[in-house]
Amino acid sequence: MVMKNTDLNFEYKYGFSMPEKHVFKSRKGIDEDVVRQISSLKKEPSWMTAFRLKAYKVFRNKQMPVWGADLSKIDFNDIYYYIKPTEKQVNSWEDLPKEIKDTYDKIGVPEAEKKFLAGVSAQYESEVVYESIQKELTRQGVIFCDMDTGLRKYPEIVKKYFGTVISLYDNKFASLNSSVWSGGSFVYVPNGVKVTLPLQAYFRINAQNFGQFERTLIIAEEDSFVHYVEGCTAPIYTTSSLHAAVVEIIVKKNARVRYTTVQNWSKNVYNLVTKRSKVYENGVMEWVDCNIGSGVTMKYPSCYLVGDGARGEVLSIAYAGDSQHQDAGAKMIHLAPNTTSRIISKSISSKGGRTSYRGLVQVSPGAKNAKVYVTCDALIIDEKSRSDTYPDMRIKEKEVDIQHEATVEKLGEEKLFYLASRGINKTEAEGLLVNGFIDPVTKEIPLEYSIELNRLINLEMEGSVG
Amino acid sequence: MSNKFQIIKLETKEKRLIYDKPGNYSVYFENLSGDLIFDIITPGVQLNIYGLYIGKKNCEFKINTFQNHKAPLSMSNLLIKGVFYDESKLYYRGLIRIEKNAQKSHAYQKNQNLMMSKDCFIDSKPYLEILANDVFCTHGSTTGRLDQEQMFYTKTRGLNEKQAEELLVEGFINEVRNLVILGSKTTPESANNDSGRVHFVHLPE
Repeated sequence: MVMKNTDLNFEYKYGFSMPEKHVFKSRKGIDEDVVRQISSLKKEPSWMTAFRLKAYKVFRNKQMPVWGADLSKIDFNDIYYYIKPTEKQVNSWEDLPKEIKDTYDKIGVPEAEKKFLAGVSAQYESEVVYESIQKELTRQGVIFCDMDTGLRKYPEIVKKYFGTVISLYDNKFASLNSSVWSGGSFVYVPNGVKVTLPLQAYFRINAQNFGQFERTLIIAEEDSFVHYVEGCTAPIYTTSSLHAAVVEIIVKKNARVRYTTVQNWSKNVYNLVTKRSKVYENGVMEWVDCNIGSGVTMKYPSCYLVGDGARGEVLSIAYAGDSQHQDAGAKMIHLAPNTTSRIISKSISSKGGRTSYRGLVQVSPGAKNAKVYVTCDALIIDEKSRSDTYPDMRIKEKEVDIQHEATVEKLGEEKLFYLASRGINKTEAEGLLVNGFIDPVTKEIPLEYSIELNRLINLEMEGSVG
Repeated sequence: MSNKFQIIKLETKEKRLIYDKPGNYSVYFENLSGDLIFDIITPGVQLNIYGLYIGKKNCEFKINTFQNHKAPLSMSNLLIKGVFYDESKLYYRGLIRIEKNAQKSHAYQKNQNLMMSKDCFIDSKPYLEILANDVFCTHGSTTGRLDQEQMFYTKTRGLNEKQAEELLVEGFINEVRNLVILGSKTTPESANNDSGRVHFVHLPE
């Protein structure tokens, strides 16, 4: 569809901020006391307090990554690590404080919930303030709640899986998350249950200089299916905020999990996220990862294919405009025979933005008949922009088929000329071609989101140089 | 076309080749370890880079290539093929970088590896850094066993497993060697694979 909107002064639609009201805010900076304080406020079991403190020590000693995007401007002492926005969680939008309700109304969450979602969770600063799930799912034994509630109500499940896919030693930001995590989702799908409508989480940062550290754990038991969707937005500030999430997913035998992200943080947000899944026999894990917002993103959703016949898939879209660097990609670790994986990455850089695809494919000895297919396509819209591709393939098994291909190009002049001859102006033609370019990925995400995504990219593209 | 080979022994770990005159160039190397830097600083350069690796026993190759486009309107095309037996290892990192002013550059990079033993190891990193927009760049990398359908067909023609393998490997290798022969009239002296001795051949055409 041709977009008729030619407003050249597009502004980030979710950049508004609300007056900050909270019931508790930790002091600026981080030390052991702050970590203890968060844990005691949440009345956590002692094993979790110990886990946090251990992670804090690891965080202190770990180096910053020496590769990837420029993180030198992050000042860990200039961040608030925990803000509790409300006294308690509610399950009706009407019960939320006005500022928070207005925020979600503007983003359109309650509207979407009525139309096409099985469950919704909304996180504001550090805590999930709203949550609901269809009664039918609860009856079937599906659990969908925030991580803190999960720890309180289902300690045995959480203790069994928490930190098993991403250890607290994994990387500096995973260690940081492990020490100060708050909120995020806990999803448990019992044997054989198929959750047909998506479960959705919305993450919103409102405060300045804030760090959001949500922690998500999804467990899909044998033969089950669940689709989890997350969306993220934040106000525009001149100071930086940090978002360092950890997402762990366990896909048991014959189960399938799809995890869709539409990341649209404002440009003052550092988005440094660790996402990983462990996939057992004939399980399928699909990551659909769309990065449109944030100033800097470093995120590489991973699949550890540990069971015979397991399959991993990453579909990724990255858009980098003015002053943005999207360093995104995927990791596929083949540890068992007959495992297959596919990575499709589409990136667009314009107005001086930079996109980098960074990926790892590893086939371990014994992963016979592993099949890997990776394709990365990049579009560079103007001469100020930049695109990189950094794939890494480590193959230690003979009976495998590994393919990787990448292309970098600009929008086809012939296609633009053709569209011009049909009476479509340049801006619209560029929008059409870009939407066509990302179409293989957008058609995989829920309709409401793909329309939103196409619209966003159209708007971002407008006024870009030809 | 000149049929002279310039054989350069690679004495240091790093070799920087500077292309400052338009023309067709070919570079060929076998079993080479080290850093090869190709600086293209003028328009009109057509550069072909061919590499061949045959790893046996516990041979270990570490090769980095860098197609550095600093001027517009040039082309570079890299093809590296490898066959790995026993416990041989390849660490390959290839970078194409197109600088901002190197508009209308075309750069290609292809790395194909055959794994002939379960104990060999391949680490392939075909990297791209593109800072200009009006360019065309691709890279491709494949790693795996011999095509199983080709193996089957060859065996139905009466060849045994070993003969079929040898025939297909020869075809795989010859794709590179033939390209080099086409670019000149004599064949380059072949490297002694077992000792890992390297020859570096630079052919101005």
